[in-house]
Amino acid sequence: MKQSVARSAESPQGAKSPRRDWLLLSLLSLITICILCASTELLARRMFASKGSVNDCMVMNDPSTGIRAIPNSVCWEKSPEGPLVEYRFNDCGDRTDVECGRKPKGSYRIVIAGSSIPMGARVPAEKTFASLLPAELSRQTGREIEIYNAAVYRERPPALALRFKEILAQQPDLILWVITPMDIQEVSDSMPAQGPQKSGEGFLEKSLNRAKEGIASGRFADAAGDIWSYSKSAMMLRHFLYSSQSRYTQSLVMGGDYETGYLKAHPSAAWQDRMRQLDIYAAEIEAEAKSAGVPFAAVLLPNRAEAAMLSMNRRPAQFNPYELDDELCAMVTSHGGIYLDILPRFHRLLNTDRFFYPVDVHPNADGQAAFAEVLDKELTGGAIPALKSKGTTQVPSTLER
Amino acid sequence: METASFQFIFFGLAAALVSNFSRSRAWRSTVLMTASVVFLALLSNRPLFFVPLAFFLFLGYAGYFLIARGWSKSAVWSILAVLLVYAWLKKYTFLPEGLFIHAPYLTLGLSYIFFRVLHLLIDAGDDTEKRIIGPGAYILYTLNFTTFVSGPIQRYDEFARDQFALAPIPLEWSVVGLQLERIVRGIFKVNVLAMLLGTAQQDALLQISQPFPLTHRLYAAFQIVVLYPFFLYANFSGYIDIVIAIARLMRVRLPENFDRPFSASSFLDFWSRWHITLSTWLKTYVYNPLLLALMRRFSSIALQQFLGVFCFFVTFFLVGLWHGRTSEFIFFGVLQGGGVAVNKLWQLGMARVLGRRSYKDLSKNSAYIAFGRGLTFSWFALTQFWFWADWAQINGLCRALSAVEWVGVWLVIWVCASAVLAAWEWLRAALLSIETVEGPVFLSRYARVIYTTALGLAAYVITVLLNQPAPDIIYKAF
Repeated sequence: MKQSVARSAESPQGAKSPRRDWLLLSLLSLITICILCASTELLARRMFASKGSVNDCMVMNDPSTGIRAIPNSVCWEKSPEGPLVEYRFNDCGDRTDVECGRKPKGSYRIVIAGSSIPMGARVPAEKTFASLLPAELSRQTGREIEIYNAAVYRERPPALALRFKEILAQQPDLILWVITPMDIQEVSDSMPAQGPQKSGEGFLEKSLNRAKEGIASGRFADAAGDIWSYSKSAMMLRHFLYSSQSRYTQSLVMGGDYETGYLKAHPSAAWQDRMRQLDIYAAEIEAEAKSAGVPFAAVLLPNRAEAAMLSMNRRPAQFNPYELDDELCAMVTSHGGIYLDILPRFHRLLNTDRFFYPVDVHPNADGQAAFAEVLDKELTGGAIPALKSKGTTQVPSTLER
Repeated sequence: METASFQFIFFGLAAALVSNFSRSRAWRSTVLMTASVVFLALLSNRPLFFVPLAFFLFLGYAGYFLIARGWSKSAVWSILAVLLVYAWLKKYTFLPEGLFIHAPYLTLGLSYIFFRVLHLLIDAGDDTEKRIIGPGAYILYTLNFTTFVSGPIQRYDEFARDQFALAPIPLEWSVVGLQLERIVRGIFKVNVLAMLLGTAQQDALLQISQPFPLTHRLYAAFQIVVLYPFFLYANFSGYIDIVIAIARLMRVRLPENFDRPFSASSFLDFWSRWHITLSTWLKTYVYNPLLLALMRRFSSIALQQFLGVFCFFVTFFLVGLWHGRTSEFIFFGVLQGGGVAVNKLWQLGMARVLGRRSYKDLSKNSAYIAFGRGLTFSWFALTQFWFWADWAQINGLCRALSAVEWVGVWLVIWVCASAVLAAWEWLRAALLSIETVEGPVFLSRYARVIYTTALGLAAYVITVLLNQPAPDIIYKAF
């Protein structure tokens, strides 16, 4: 039979291993691991420094209102992926420059309700869509438009329903409820699911607490995984991995129902249940707005997962990023509200992936500007008669998906 | 069990450990057989799933048995039957759709088994010693779990030499260390390097389809072409590293499949460094017999050089064709065969124009080598379009840029590849020239432990702690 070449990878250098090498090589391996771990963590702490927390300005567990900001408070937060951001709350505890309660004569006031994304988390106040929109809306409509941002970090629908009267007290001409998938994910939480960390709680403190919990519950592996996830090394690696859209999407597709159920063409029973709960709160707040005689509109802002799904050339068969949008539209309009469908316009923007922080997944300043652009078109497109652009002559046409 | 996963590696290491409990060949063969059967069973729990594969193996053995028993007339029919059944089971599109089995069945590894079976059939008639391989040895050889999924394509004599040796090949601790290092390197290549390269290429594909400015799309096109060969290399050679190391721990030496392919200075050289076992197989069983037959038929000396060119084309056309059943792979085959044939013609033409000595001198010129290397890489990278994309995707890519822009991208890739690969060769040589009395510092066991630990840590963190899915092994699809 014919011979073929079979080269050996056995280096002659590996032939002799002195006994001391057993110890030396193990030690070398251990030292390598220590040096790599320490240097990566140090580098990550330098590149992704964090400082302060918006939580310092928040009242977390007020059972009468849910989470809310302390009126007239100011705090600073430098999130690992974002810039240093000032959070300044007015005397009603809202992140807005607009005066609380009093509306200037002749102006049209839109009050925004929702959670962290409409509040502008991780973004300077002047770069949030709530700050960018008024000038453009005023220009397009020829009237003075004012936006009062009443959105509160981590305020889920139950908490919104609790303090909806405060929103009505801002004398809105239109209430714009900005919904994000996270709001539906945590629809049953009137309070934040976990006690949010204060800025002083560092890696060591958190790790020790988690280790204690792990020992107490006997779930060491879970605790070890969580402690690793608290490290800046994990954060840095995730940041670089998830900067890639296709990598992020692949990880997303692998996610469980809780994380990705709202993207499915056929939502699970758990997600249907969440939608039913949301419907109850939607009915409640829309009825309140109706009885106060205030027009009510709602919009779904896509998160990074939805944006990634929208821009995929070939989507996995079980996913449909428009499913949630359609369900919300049916829900809001069934109670008499107006639904602004911005997904088709958002889909047309280039490279939507750059609008979000890769790990934090909140929109960055570019994302807030993109939301302002699409919301402006949707608000002035004729869906809200009072805001119809001077140039708009016909009812908004449905954009092709 | 995913190939190149941690489960597969632990499975392989466990099999290797048990195999080394005894040096007897019966014990080692029993362990290999058990491990291979368990590996197959883990692929599916439905016995019917394996029936077509069993039929193919039976057909191959029946043909082999007849030829080995002296029924040489059955050789042609046996080979044709194996070829036809292979094409039928792989659902080659030239066969009528109605003939295919529509129930699900196992085709994983079939392409590699096909080569092993065909090699036995062809060589059975040549074996002057008339030793007949028993059915047990045949099953062990064809279903060996270390070569089952994606090769390497090992010859029976090489397999038998190690597997059935009375005194198995030695396995010192230093060899064990080297194999463990190779496994870690393989995991890193597949789970980290290939994952990152594949991801970057996918991102570039998303970018090129959007109406970005031209410079943005040109850069995306550059990435699409350049990244895939590196991705494929990391993916396939990483898997090969793992299985070669596991087999070596079971005291079987598998043939190498890669030899620094991107160092090749010509396309002919490239195919002696990339998927070596496939190209060697085809050179042995297609190129050599075809050239001999043609030389017997056409005795003109002037024609003989061109017969070689033709045989190269046919051989590497088949290399391309073997990869798939669709028209994209026919075109891929034409590009591989064409590349090799043009390369051979160039060699003949240059030798004629410059004279043999001058051409030999030119071939040693470092700038000539660097540009040859760059051209080889850029040609191979471009031909990969017909390897990973279908016509619809290729059409989309063609429409994303004009023909002139694509040519421009390709020229830039040629120049960049020439410079970067030459720089890499220089750096590698410089690093390996740092030596102690024991040899190059960077190949010492201390250096190896350091970089293996670093690669292992990176692979563990990214695969396990960050739960990042590794790409599938591309060559298991063939």
